[in-house]
Amino acid sequence: MAITAGIDMGIQTVKVVILKDGAVVGRAKASSGFEPAKAAEQAFAEALQISKSSKEEVTQILATGSGMETAPYANGNVSMMGADAKAGVFLFPSARTIVDIGAEEARAVKCDERGIMQDFVVNERCAAGAGTFIEAMARALEVKLEDMGPLSLKAERASPINASCVIFGESDVVSLIHRQESKPEIARAVFDAMADRISSMVHRLGINLDVVVVGGVAKDVGFVDSLKRKLGIKILVPEYPEYVGALGAALTAASRVKVGQQ
Amino acid sequence: MKNVSAEKKYMPEMPQKEIEELNSSVKATSAKIIADNIARMKKTDPNRPEGMKYFDEISNFFGQRPKEIQDAKIKGKKVIGYFCVFAPVELILAADAIPVRVNSGWYDTSKLGDRIVPVEVCPVIRSTIGAKMIGLSPYLELSDAVISTLTCDGMTKLSEILSDSKTIWTMTPPRVKDSPQSLQLWKEEIKTVKTQLEKITGNKITAKKLKEAIETMQKASKAFRRLQELRKGNTVLMGRDAMLVNQAALWDDIKRWTEKTEALCDELEMRIKDKAWACPPDTPRVIVTGTPMFWPDNWKLPTLIEEATPQGVLVGDEMCSSDRILYDPVGIDEWTMDDMINGIAERYLMASTCPCFTSKDGNEDRVNWLINKVKENKAQGVIYYVVRGCILYAMEYTRVKKALDKLGIPVYYLDTDYTREDVGQMKTRVEAFLEMLTARVDI
Repeated sequence: MAITAGIDMGIQTVKVVILKDGAVVGRAKASSGFEPAKAAEQAFAEALQISKSSKEEVTQILATGSGMETAPYANGNVSMMGADAKAGVFLFPSARTIVDIGAEEARAVKCDERGIMQDFVVNERCAAGAGTFIEAMARALEVKLEDMGPLSLKAERASPINASCVIFGESDVVSLIHRQESKPEIARAVFDAMADRISSMVHRLGINLDVVVVGGVAKDVGFVDSLKRKLGIKILVPEYPEYVGALGAALTAASRVKVGQQ
Repeated sequence: MKNVSAEKKYMPEMPQKEIEELNSSVKATSAKIIADNIARMKKTDPNRPEGMKYFDEISNFFGQRPKEIQDAKIKGKKVIGYFCVFAPVELILAADAIPVRVNSGWYDTSKLGDRIVPVEVCPVIRSTIGAKMIGLSPYLELSDAVISTLTCDGMTKLSEILSDSKTIWTMTPPRVKDSPQSLQLWKEEIKTVKTQLEKITGNKITAKKLKEAIETMQKASKAFRRLQELRKGNTVLMGRDAMLVNQAALWDDIKRWTEKTEALCDELEMRIKDKAWACPPDTPRVIVTGTPMFWPDNWKLPTLIEEATPQGVLVGDEMCSSDRILYDPVGIDEWTMDDMINGIAERYLMASTCPCFTSKDGNEDRVNWLINKVKENKAQGVIYYVVRGCILYAMEYTRVKKALDKLGIPVYYLDTDYTREDVGQMKTRVEAFLEMLTARVDI
């Protein structure tokens, strides 16, 4: 069988996945920065090295992500929603809804048992429902981004804040600080507010079990905990949630190779 | 009394210099956009029908058509502008006046409208206000009076705002379509407009003249429907081209438009015989419903659909700015004045699928119209298009989606504004949607 690759040109991070015989043999990421194409080349080289294969062996490379047009080496594109559906069902065959939360965009995809998307929704062009929101709030709290989640789990109760906009959210957080709320409670308020927005987005699509949460934000235990509470259902999170888009692109590349061979 | 009415209630006093500068810069951008849109339409279908040439020319808002109207005005003709397709065009023609639709599709002028109304207001309204502020729209400027149907909150206040500098005739449509008093009210509104038309033009609308006008519009409807019929099979005319033909009916001389559309249809029929398709027959077929889209700037969504990878084709729509414009002719049993007025009132009220209506079954007419269109034009997906602030269309989405879900037709809700800045994001969504339609067919 063939070796394929997927490149996810995300807004903040570029991710690359190398797939061989239906198994991931290499993955790497790099910060998008000012030259995302260069970052992608770098991540691609690293992933190749891990997979112990050469670029010539890779038969098909597909790009996805908001910067997919600028991806190096790509033979074609696949939409972020299409990639999410494909990889979500590959990782969890029972998955029918994939929620992907990246740095600046959140989306939910409904799919069938073959991993083909049936419907999708995207958050309303506002970073308040995405990773950047947590970053901004962590800054306001003077807490490291990766500490936000564990911190929020220590909260005993929640305080409501406004997550309709990053700026308003930040001023709400500042007023909570002035009211001398504890940091864990404020951290939880941030995740609850975000989970609120994401859950109404998922409800617009309709909840079809099982629900898988992917994208960089899925690594955040605090957010996943809040979303579980809001939706009141079990949520599946894969081991490397941030690579799901790239994996979906590599899987789509593999099925295109297969169709080509037939 | 005169001084009081001359006082502007909404419109700001702008220095003449600023008006002129804005007018010339927006006009220059617009001229570029008109040329660019047409160039891109030609690129999408390199073998575009010859008959489209005429419509390209007549679509130049700063070209031949406004000059023609200007000349007719010098010879004493009156020009009647209108905002919604509720305006009884037959009566305008019977009064020997020129009807022309004046909603604004200019993105740049919506920012000017922000000086008067908040950004939450629908951009069609904001942009129309802005266009008036700098005298951009030749058709609005040439209008001696403008018929404004108070369909939504935006339209209601727009009439008030524009009455600062224009003669506005309002028409109140009933909100409940199927109550006994509704048609009565609407008929009175139609009669009032008739009187106003006779007064402004000095021409009496006789039964003979009205019959002629109704027949002219019936012929136009026939050509309009013929074109729609030709879009049901494999694509012989790209959706943007068809949309341009449809919209040209809003500002062109209607008799000439009818001739040109019939000629285009003749050409298209030849092409069908030769199987000369405008795009591969397996191109995903999309229908758009929602907020009206106006030439020239608001060509964003149809362009994205037809230039996307994978490519899609707009096979029809449920919009008052396109496939709904002339779909319904006035039906007459006996050519008496009373019967004709009744026929006109019924046609403009009952045939409308505007979301301003409700009834016992809600706005079921719209759902049915759309479903019919989806079935007849063999659409594989629907894009539900809404601009920010267009509350009525936004609110009806859930119902429309439920109805389409039952048929297994995917629908995507796409919201946007009068801006060019979100084209990238819209492209991602439109392409994902088209990819989904393709994947559903492939497997």
